[in-house]
Amino acid sequence: MANSQRRPAALDPVYYPVVALALILVACVDFCDAVTVVDVYRLVQYDLSGVPFGSRLATLNHHAGSSFFASSSTVDLSRTVLMLPVRELDLDLIKEYIGQGKLLGGLLLLLPPQFSPEKVETAVGRDEDFDLLRNKVSELERLLIHANIPYPVYFAFEDDNINAVLAEVKRNDASGQPATATTGGYKLVVAASDPKKIASPTITNIQGWLPGLKPDGDSSQLPTIAIVASYDTFGAAPALSVGSDSNGSGVVALLEIARLFSVLYSNPKTRGRYNLLFGLTSGGPYNFNGTQKWLRSFDQRLRESIDYAICLNSLGSLGNELHLHVSKPPENTYIQQIFQGFSSVAEESGLQVGLKHKKINISSPRVAWEHEQFSRLRVTAATISELSTAPELLEGTGSLSDNRHSVSEASIIRSVKLVAESVARHIYSQEGKGTNIFADDGSLAVNPSYVRSWLDLLSTTSRVAPFLSKSDPLIMALQKELADHTAEVNVQHETLDETFTFYDSISGRLHVYQVASVTFDLLLLLVLGSYLITLFSFLVITTRGLDDLISLFRRPPSRKVKAV
Amino acid sequence: MTVFHFFNCAILTFGPHAVYYSATPLSEYDTLWTSIKSAVVYLFTALVKLVCLATFLNVSESESDNFDPYQELLKALFGFIEVAGLYFALTQLTHRNISQNHKFQAVGLGWAFADSVLHRLVPLWFGARGLEFTWDYILQGLEANANLVFSISLAALGSLMWLRKNKPKTLIPIIYACAGIVATMPTITSYLRRGLGWHLPKVVGFELFSSLLIAFISWQLFVACQRPSN
Repeated sequence: MANSQRRPAALDPVYYPVVALALILVACVDFCDAVTVVDVYRLVQYDLSGVPFGSRLATLNHHAGSSFFASSSTVDLSRTVLMLPVRELDLDLIKEYIGQGKLLGGLLLLLPPQFSPEKVETAVGRDEDFDLLRNKVSELERLLIHANIPYPVYFAFEDDNINAVLAEVKRNDASGQPATATTGGYKLVVAASDPKKIASPTITNIQGWLPGLKPDGDSSQLPTIAIVASYDTFGAAPALSVGSDSNGSGVVALLEIARLFSVLYSNPKTRGRYNLLFGLTSGGPYNFNGTQKWLRSFDQRLRESIDYAICLNSLGSLGNELHLHVSKPPENTYIQQIFQGFSSVAEESGLQVGLKHKKINISSPRVAWEHEQFSRLRVTAATISELSTAPELLEGTGSLSDNRHSVSEASIIRSVKLVAESVARHIYSQEGKGTNIFADDGSLAVNPSYVRSWLDLLSTTSRVAPFLSKSDPLIMALQKELADHTAEVNVQHETLDETFTFYDSISGRLHVYQVASVTFDLLLLLVLGSYLITLFSFLVITTRGLDDLISLFRRPPSRKVKAV
Repeated sequence: MTVFHFFNCAILTFGPHAVYYSATPLSEYDTLWTSIKSAVVYLFTALVKLVCLATFLNVSESESDNFDPYQELLKALFGFIEVAGLYFALTQLTHRNISQNHKFQAVGLGWAFADSVLHRLVPLWFGARGLEFTWDYILQGLEANANLVFSISLAALGSLMWLRKNKPKTLIPIIYACAGIVATMPTITSYLRRGLGWHLPKVVGFELFSSLLIAFISWQLFVACQRPSN
């Protein structure tokens, strides 16, 4: 009975340390947030004729760091993931670091949110800062694509969570405490399996056929005009390579031209005496490998019936100048005819079209323009593009900075009008007569909302050919769209040239963990131990008396020691 | 490192129960069997409560953001199933050679321990070993401490209500009121967390504080009830 009186009394003083502990913990809770998860996109990994390029690893599990120098020189960075915002990145430094082949635990490059294909709607001021940033991203991309980097490199977009982590990591670095297992900090984890080679990547060409009108019924005797655009992309991060300008704009223009001519050709009175061939080709970044295979699959008669081919490439950015790239000498009568057609229409709409001649080097495997694949097979062809010079291999085909912000619908609409008008004048023999078939207010006007919706779709869909399956939704959509505008659609699956090998795991989820240090856990153990000992002593003293407690230590009875 | 953290949290969650058992005369009178029996009763009670909750309660999609008074009232009512279980453990289980004082302590201890094992061991095992560090499991351990005090207080009040016959008439309403408060404590904390939007540290602080207050009151009541018999 006497014991029971004292029992609850024991609790009262005993729990004061607990309350104190609780208050201390409450004070610390503020800067402990839960796990952050962000989408990350891995740098492309590929082999070019067996030579490795890009980021060679995918698995990431290291502590976060914020700069090359923050930690003292004795600390090895090979177990640190550097988080570098591209905005503040020193390009020379990273160039030097990659050039010397120094080891890192990993690299996480934080892109400004404007570069995210998901955020098409965010307004971007077309100011100099943004242009500078885009140039920087392009340069960084060029550096990363052509380097062999023996650690995982990921891209992520800045957001509030990741910026908070970065600020914290920077603060830790500044205070001279690099994040290691003993001092706590952030740990960045991407759980991914080893990247595997993609076995025989397929490239898919989609072709639409719009037959012309021939009085005796056999349209295969008619001459053909081909309009071609390559739709796939290649960029530093395959999952982000949307290529709005290169060559999303070309694809949009092609679809709109197909739509306009389908309207014209649906009426026998306006059906021209030319067949129209629309080709959406794949493998554009890889020397127009898809175009080559597509052309090889033609039978001789069709190939010879092609009057000329117009390739659409990068038509979306602002500017009043377009270039007609040709391989045959400019004096050639066919070339002159095409150029005359384009420039006369261009003059009416205030555009400038220049003729650019670049000879084909047959011995070199590099095919810079799509029309060169036609020219190699002696088909008259030209590429219309806003680019004045051909990009290098694997460049300018859907880089990180090439997104919805870099293209304007107005430019595409203007280019559509230019190409459609000049082709139509050729078909209906209206050259030089100044008829305006696709006038803005007519029934055959270019439809801006159609252009916009396709441009928006293409600007949010990455289209790197090896990562597109044969029945990818995008391919199905393009096929269906072309089927709506043409009489006959063929889809051709080919295998990509074996010079190029790609590896999978192009995106992943980055888990950011805040990890406690070992010292913290030791300290906690100490606090808990003393808490339990105090609790024990208080309970013994209050329920049995101090003498009992002392006697416990003097000659410990076997039964109680076990329980403690 | 993370196993270390799990170990720490486990000490905080289950340590006080062991310490309480070994430090107080409970260990001398060998009341372990009583505690085990009351833990078994707790398991059955929890099962019955779970079945009732699953039958009568709506499962809301977003449980954490609003406080539904009707649902909480229902939950509080089912909370009294636990009181019934405790009544059974205190009165119906045969406790030979155990004084009333030790009986309620043993029952309360078994009750709290079973509660901790049932509600905290699994989250602890899966959560505290993860890479991410949070204070949650330490707070949860502190909550287990508060719960231990609540359980023993409730058992003490229960033994006053059901086992002691000659208690002062004036204290009876107070005893019942205290028991009611302790029995509805889960609802109160739930209200604080969802209705008032308190964060976990604040709730745990409140629980610790109120557990001490309840322990003090029930101790005073116990003393007051003991006086006439002495």
